[in-house]
Amino acid sequence: MSYLIDEGKNASHLLMGNEAIVRGSLEAGINVAAGYPGTPSSEIIECFSQVAKERNLYVEWSTNEKVAVEVAAAASFAGLRSLCVMKQNGVNVASDFLLHLASSGTRGGMLLVTCDDPGALSSVNEGESRLFAQLLEIPLLEPGDFQEAKDIIPWAFALSEKIRNIVMVRSVTRLSHASGNVRFGPLPATAAKAEFHYSGPLLDPDTGPMIAMIVAAPEAQHGPQQEKMKRAAEIFETCPFNTYTGPAAPELLIVTSSACSLYSREAVSILGLTERVGILKLATTWPLPQRLLKKHLAAAPQILFVEEVAPTLEDHVKVVAAEAGAEIGGKIFFGKKSGHLPSLGELNPDLVLAALSRIFAVPYEGAPAAFSGAVKALAARYAPPRGMTFCPGCPHRASYWSINNAVKLDGRGGFVCGDIGCYVMGTMAAGFNTCKTLHAMGSASGIASGFGKLKQFGMGQPVMAVCGDSTFFHAAMPALANAIHQRSPFTLMLMDNRGTAMTGFQPHPGSPTNVLGDTVPALDMEKICRAMGAKVEVSDPFNLEKTRQKLNHLMEYADGAKVLILRRACALSPERRGKKDYEVTVDESRCRGEDCGCNRICTRIFGCPGLIWDGEKKVSRIDEIICVGCGVCADICPAGAIVRKEIA
Amino acid sequence: MNNFGANKLAERVIQAELCSGCGACIDLCPYFRSYRGKTAYLFPCTREEGRCFAYCPKVEVDLDGISRFLFAKPYDGHPLGNWRSIHVARAGTRLKRQPFQSGGTVSALMYFALRSGCIRGAILTGRKGLLPVPQLVTRPAGVWRHSLSKYTAAPTLATLNRAVTAGHEALGVVATPCQATAVAQMRMNPLQKSPFQDPTALVIGLFCTWALDFRKFEAFLAERVPLQDIVKVDIPPPPASVLEVYLPGEKREFPLNEIRPLVPDTCGYCLDMTSEFADVSVGVLEGQPDLNTLIVRTQRGEEIVREAQRQEYLIIEDMPGENREHLEWAAGNKKQRGIRRCMETGRLNGEAGTACLRLTAEVTDRILEN
Repeated sequence: MSYLIDEGKNASHLLMGNEAIVRGSLEAGINVAAGYPGTPSSEIIECFSQVAKERNLYVEWSTNEKVAVEVAAAASFAGLRSLCVMKQNGVNVASDFLLHLASSGTRGGMLLVTCDDPGALSSVNEGESRLFAQLLEIPLLEPGDFQEAKDIIPWAFALSEKIRNIVMVRSVTRLSHASGNVRFGPLPATAAKAEFHYSGPLLDPDTGPMIAMIVAAPEAQHGPQQEKMKRAAEIFETCPFNTYTGPAAPELLIVTSSACSLYSREAVSILGLTERVGILKLATTWPLPQRLLKKHLAAAPQILFVEEVAPTLEDHVKVVAAEAGAEIGGKIFFGKKSGHLPSLGELNPDLVLAALSRIFAVPYEGAPAAFSGAVKALAARYAPPRGMTFCPGCPHRASYWSINNAVKLDGRGGFVCGDIGCYVMGTMAAGFNTCKTLHAMGSASGIASGFGKLKQFGMGQPVMAVCGDSTFFHAAMPALANAIHQRSPFTLMLMDNRGTAMTGFQPHPGSPTNVLGDTVPALDMEKICRAMGAKVEVSDPFNLEKTRQKLNHLMEYADGAKVLILRRACALSPERRGKKDYEVTVDESRCRGEDCGCNRICTRIFGCPGLIWDGEKKVSRIDEIICVGCGVCADICPAGAIVRKEIA
Repeated sequence: MNNFGANKLAERVIQAELCSGCGACIDLCPYFRSYRGKTAYLFPCTREEGRCFAYCPKVEVDLDGISRFLFAKPYDGHPLGNWRSIHVARAGTRLKRQPFQSGGTVSALMYFALRSGCIRGAILTGRKGLLPVPQLVTRPAGVWRHSLSKYTAAPTLATLNRAVTAGHEALGVVATPCQATAVAQMRMNPLQKSPFQDPTALVIGLFCTWALDFRKFEAFLAERVPLQDIVKVDIPPPPASVLEVYLPGEKREFPLNEIRPLVPDTCGYCLDMTSEFADVSVGVLEGQPDLNTLIVRTQRGEEIVREAQRQEYLIIEDMPGENREHLEWAAGNKKQRGIRRCMETGRLNGEAGTACLRLTAEVTDRILEN
């Protein structure tokens, strides 16, 4: 039995923030959860799937985030409690439906859980999902620690049911992925009954059809939606998760939320400012609790905003202060806009310490320079210098090798549009700098479709795009359909590594099993592309020359949209992990090393971590510990010095 | 000589569109490859000196150094280069009539050289469709499959490099002027590698005014004839001014004025019409499409020609003075055009690594005055 459904009285477990959100949902009696994988959110659906049978949950990895919200909304419409989860970029994808859902409202409690990635540790950007709450006109909650990450969820479900609308709960990497002790509450019985009532009057929240009005006057739905926000704001005034610690009349008030509240507490404590600084930790960051804020703003002459990414709190609280100016008087504000805290990246206690020491002119010395230097020296000694790269035996490295060669051989200035997945490293040396555009999921195909139509303006460069198998279903299919329909001559290289590899091999519609382990129909990408009207070729990326030839042929001769499926399971996938096809060795007598004629192409260019340069012998070697025996490097070596022997 | 590495070669020759696609830099390393008549640079190399740069006939070519190495004479800018004798030639009576281009002199010499053991392999260029495909031929009969002109750039020297790496020796090469220049530079062992052995025993140079860009030529013909049916392509000597395309039972002619736009820019920098750095050079005799002009330049070339003549694989006659004068006039014109182009674009002498050619002011003036 999973610890997540421990029903022991006063049970306490060390949980990641994401696990705490799951436990909180279980305590709230959740029925349906759907999401699309994306760091730092992916553990939530995986944890739900582990307890799905015991708790009678329906859990799915949806095709994309918009579909995930729609699936969860259906459960809410049928009276169940549901949750959809995604990373910050996913909210962009889901936003169209979300805007309409916020208009129609919900029935059973429904949460949108977003896990933001300040600092873009695992993202293309550090997009700010909080701003969506304002755009969508839905309430936003931000738990400040691990216990709260659990406790706030049942409260959020109850709020959703009170106002009959979706409620957004925002986590961040340092809350989702860090761990803390969490005291468990009771789990409810699981006997939910789903039924969608639609026979009542239009706009009846309990029995009418769930419709975002198409031609109604704004007051029909937008008015009630704003009333819901007013109700939420009123509830927020007494929300138990908004807390204040500090003196009654502090010299400085820190207004903060989420993991930043922990950094603030630590910084205030280290500087010995607990008697001079108050911390107002807000869990309800949209709409803001105005009376609560006014009370605390009135008590302090100076305000410091501690928050990550956009100055959302800073902007909105300043409006509250301005509107209450006559009552609370003028204030001095510090934060991102004053330059006391950085406008991008993650915050940490040191950054808050620096801001406070500057405001209070309190000297603070962080770690001594000598200590930092010693740490760096030790790290350099024991950690090998290594840039971002593909894993040993990664099919993407082999694919990009062939793609790079095909593009260079073609010689007409062709280029590849990059997409989101492990293969984003096609923009870097690891992927031979092959990709020349990179934006959102599926965008490579859409951009390529557009480039392909620029021939009439004199553009003769061959156009290519990449996408992974999960991305194909997520967002590339509409772009491919567009290209086929518009006769846009680009080549899509569908890098099918059999799963959503970057986030941990979650299944997608092309997978034979779902997140619950059930056997499900696997959609055949090759047949889909053919049926859509594309010319389709399939190649094993480990067959470098064949792959290169097929791509060159597609670039040279075929008109319209073409698809080259590069099919090879990820070396870390469950079906490949631990399996070696070849024993690979280097014949040192044949290795040309740094000579003209090779110049270390294997270790300098190909760059598989399984290949090591022996600086003393001036030859390449195989790192037997991490080599996965794919044998591709044997085809790279011009001297035949890398030898592969098939393992029976 | 000024030698640099692959990055400089890519910048100065390939990106500058000076590459003739000769193949001299290919198959020495994994970084240069040939594709449809063009040379591609796949990945950057960090070496500061390489054979690729040293062999290239389009950058830092020291004509005087090559001339002194091959002929023990300075490069004097003569329109036909150094030569021992000039003849009218054709395939001899020992050979059955084959699908020769013009007089069949090149095929006859290569056939004889292979058969007699003067060479142990021949680097020749066949074709797949319209695409020139170089090959190593070790049996005399294999020569006949490569006997027709291609008129587009071929990476012939990539096959020579591959054959040398594989240990082949005493090779014969049929080369265009730029390829013959590259082969001469290879024979000079510019990186002073040791041990070193001249891999060639016979270099037959072809006369060349220009070669066509393969991709453009293919596209040109694809719009006009069924590519798969082409049997032979020919440009008969002046006064004709057409490109002939032979199809089954049909010959189509295209004016050279329509063809010249397909000539790559790099040919405009070339000073050499007659493959001056070959052992023997062969072209079509003006006004006589079934005869060749044969220029004998080196001792080893002379020995093979004499023996081929003695054994009746080759028929040679004296060249009429009028034909020679006209040949010199045509070759001199190309030299002048090429050197002017180099001067206009700053590619004659100059900073190390930037020049196509290095020539003394005296020789330059002589070429321009001829």
